[in-house]
Amino acid sequence: MSNSQQGQKTIVAAHGVGKQVPTAAGTLTILQDIDLHIDAGESVAIVGASGSGKSTLLGLLAGLDLPSSGSIDLAGECLTDLDEDGRARLRGEQAGFVFQSFQLLPSLTALENVMLPLELAGVMDATSTATALLDRVGLGPRLDHYPRQLSGGEQQRVAIARAFAMRPAVLFADEPTGNLDAATGERIISLLFELNAEQGTTLVLVTHDDALAGRCTRAIRLEAGKICL
Amino acid sequence: MSLKNLLLAWRLLRRDWRAGELRILLLALVIAVTATTVIGFFSDRLQRGMVGQSAELLGGDLLLQSPREVPPEWLNEAGQLGLAHTRVLEFPSVVMHGEGMQLAGIKAVNADYPLRGQLRVSLTPYGEEIRETGIPAEDEAWVEARLLALLDMQVGEQLELGNATLTVTRVLTFEPSAGGGFFAMAPRLMVNQRALAATGVLQAGSRVSNQYLFAGENLPLQGYQEWLRPQLEPSHRLIDIREGQPTVGAALERAESYLGLASLVAVLLAGVAIAMGAGRYAERHFDMAAVMRCLGASQQRILGLFLPQLLWLGLIGSAIGVALAWLGQFVLFYLLQDLLPATLPAPGWAPALIGLASGLTILAGFALPPVLRLRRVPALRVLRRELAPMPLQGWLVYGLAIATLAVLMWRYTGSASMTLAVMGGAAAALVLLGGLAGLLLHLSRGLHRGVGVAWRYGVNNLWRRPWLSISQILAFGLILMAMALIALVRGDLLNTWQAQLPPETHNHFVVNILPEQRDAFAAYLPAQRIDSSRLYPMVRGRLAEVEGEPLGARIQPGDEGAGAVYREMNLTWSDTLPEGNRIIAGQWLGASAEGMEVSMEAGLAERLGVRLGDELGFSFAGEVRRVTVTSLRSVQWDSFRPNFFMIFPEAALAGQPVTYMTSFYLPGERRAELTAMLRQFPTLTVIDLDRLMEQVRTILGQVTLAVEFVLLFVLLAGFAVLYAALQASLEERLHEGALLRTLGGSRRQLRSGHLAEYGLLGILAGLLAALGAELIAYILYTRIFDLDYSLQWAQWLWLPLVGAVLIGLAGYWGTRSVVQQSPLVVLRRL
Repeated sequence: MSNSQQGQKTIVAAHGVGKQVPTAAGTLTILQDIDLHIDAGESVAIVGASGSGKSTLLGLLAGLDLPSSGSIDLAGECLTDLDEDGRARLRGEQAGFVFQSFQLLPSLTALENVMLPLELAGVMDATSTATALLDRVGLGPRLDHYPRQLSGGEQQRVAIARAFAMRPAVLFADEPTGNLDAATGERIISLLFELNAEQGTTLVLVTHDDALAGRCTRAIRLEAGKICL
Repeated sequence: MSLKNLLLAWRLLRRDWRAGELRILLLALVIAVTATTVIGFFSDRLQRGMVGQSAELLGGDLLLQSPREVPPEWLNEAGQLGLAHTRVLEFPSVVMHGEGMQLAGIKAVNADYPLRGQLRVSLTPYGEEIRETGIPAEDEAWVEARLLALLDMQVGEQLELGNATLTVTRVLTFEPSAGGGFFAMAPRLMVNQRALAATGVLQAGSRVSNQYLFAGENLPLQGYQEWLRPQLEPSHRLIDIREGQPTVGAALERAESYLGLASLVAVLLAGVAIAMGAGRYAERHFDMAAVMRCLGASQQRILGLFLPQLLWLGLIGSAIGVALAWLGQFVLFYLLQDLLPATLPAPGWAPALIGLASGLTILAGFALPPVLRLRRVPALRVLRRELAPMPLQGWLVYGLAIATLAVLMWRYTGSASMTLAVMGGAAAALVLLGGLAGLLLHLSRGLHRGVGVAWRYGVNNLWRRPWLSISQILAFGLILMAMALIALVRGDLLNTWQAQLPPETHNHFVVNILPEQRDAFAAYLPAQRIDSSRLYPMVRGRLAEVEGEPLGARIQPGDEGAGAVYREMNLTWSDTLPEGNRIIAGQWLGASAEGMEVSMEAGLAERLGVRLGDELGFSFAGEVRRVTVTSLRSVQWDSFRPNFFMIFPEAALAGQPVTYMTSFYLPGERRAELTAMLRQFPTLTVIDLDRLMEQVRTILGQVTLAVEFVLLFVLLAGFAVLYAALQASLEERLHEGALLRTLGGSRRQLRSGHLAEYGLLGILAGLLAALGAELIAYILYTRIFDLDYSLQWAQWLWLPLVGAVLIGLAGYWGTRSVVQQSPLVVLRRL
């Protein structure tokens, strides 16, 4: 429960976070001295050029990876104090994800993809919850379709339904419209914000898209691994 | 593992199945289990059938020979264990017909004789054979044809045995428990035991062999033997079916070894296919594991979801495999019904259970390591797809597979030495061949110069992924090696058997040739154009002492083999080493100036603890002669020629009463000539071995069929590997193919490239296979089968050729979708 004194409303916080990776040419610094606080209910866009470290930062904030230096709090727990299984539990309880490449499991139907986190958590009425969510994103008639039978926009809607299935405190989205045409991307964004508002979720998203960034309550700009104020 | 988890795993498995993710793995597992279990069912039934046939020769499953009646509690114990038993009396006695008089081997039987097998009789000498379920009535005698010839009588006439007059009603053509020894040499006369009292021939002190036959289930039989053995005296002989008939026993043992070896190869290949299938399965689930990690599943949870899936898969695949094997063996036995014994035991449950257990074991041994990797998939893979879990440590992966194979091999062969030989050979081959595969691959790099772009693309494919190529060369090399080994061992093993029983194997033994008949009989056989071995002198004597110690002290109670020498033995003299004998220690006779020496059979020497230079005392009707052991011989006991435990120089046996013996070949259509022979030499005793040899031939024929059938499944397992290997690299190839075609490559170029790649792979695999087969065959031949081995030059040519054609075509066929699908479809899907 470290850093809870940062304020009741802070749900994601980074303190002096840095990330280096070893490469053949020596150590490569991807992120350095990142400090940020995100309050519950906020929608925050992380923007920047390709290679600026946006996705790496998102992965660190969500506990998918550990920083080389500094610490990160998610929902009041210090991620760097937790082991991998502890972080997995925290993700399961608090976080939802939407990815640029959708990350649907090709062997599962749309319904089964949405049921997966519910089943992992042992929720009893996984089928009805998942069906309701898919109805909500407009895929009620496509429950039994496999990802390959769905268009890109439809696949991303399944991914959004899956992300909201566990009613997460924070939704992390990595370029959610990156693989979609402008019109479809627009509809996906609207859906994301609608659900966000309905469930009171905090939204942290990485994007190139200024229009999308503009719909968020604030934007954090990264340049060469540093926050650009 | 909660029920809820099992059910969730079951649902995930069903989803994977629907999506086609499991087919290769399941197919490989089903083939593995079917192959091994069909072999299990088949060899189990065949072996039990063969054991049954051997039991038919013995007349029961177990035979106890005793010079006296055994204590009644011995029989009570057998009865309590649920074993059937009957007593047969054998003794020599003179029978008379008119003026004629002949020593016969009398066999007095009870109504329940024989416990196994059937008597076969005819109504006239050498007439049509019929199966007989009864035994002679109290006033009847059934006799061998030669007794009729000797007594110059017909079926239906009467003969006298002691005080009783018996009518001859049947001619005996085959009797179970014909046994051996002296009684078998005199012509047989079979009577009802209830007729004995009236004959008065058995008096107190009469020399009678009591033969107790036992039959029943394996377990109580073993229990009974264990109970009985410690109570046996040196004069008792306990024979179970494996030692009753030495030739049959050896054939059975070789058959078991061989079927075991073949099933090992099937297991090995199936394991390779499963490892490949599981690797692919795991790789295709990295994303799922990453998403699950992302969604909050712990490492333990990931395992908790995938391991039960593996368990379900193992149970289903094994059950299907066992069911198919069950059907397969019925089909097989139906196809072979004319060649197999009419009454084979029903398929047992044991092979089915073993099949199920083997399936789970194979899956655990080969599929567990790749699936365990899923636990370590980093959650970050959802953002960076190139992140794959670290492979498990090599020793764990290979250790598990090797341990699994060793356990299965040991289970299938029941022989630790054979398991070690094959495992050792395979391990040495893997290390050696792996290095060599790398070397060959390296050397083949020069091949791409001066060839077209298509071939360069194909051959380059091999070098681009050296580790994958090496493992594929090893896998394919293993298949070809297995095929070569099977073909090699099968051909040689059967040749050895055939050599053991060449077409004109001697089928008659003649004993009781008197010294005055010797020259006449020696001339008679060639004059009748009958092929025979030389005449061996035969002196009856008893081995009385070893190094001054009475023989009894050297014999363990119940040691049947050594017990045979406790009675009178047939001793011979010879200047030359008989055919089929080999000196393995010391020097052939001639070392001792006085001629007081002996050449002893090595096996007997070992059992009695006799060493070179030891002194043996032989008793001849009370007179003891001492000789020194100057050589030890190995003897080919199943040669169907006269063989002797002890061979002396002539001087050592001088002055003893002697008869002569020989063996000869008389084809079935000339059997009537035996009557003429016996009329001319009435005192001869001719022993007909045709019956026994017929049984041996039948058994060998069955073994041959079993071997060919097993080969079929080894091949099937080999194809499973090929299929799994092709599937494992197919997606990458699809992707590459689509890219190449997008860049302007033609289908023909792609096809040629695949042909070149797989053809070269086949050639390299073939070369490795030739080397590996040489290595393992050498070990097997010299250590297990005890045969001579010479290099197999031909396979260095045909294995690479077969490899190139087989794997080239399979690769060409397996990758056809790469050129058939539109590049756009492929690129969009990936």
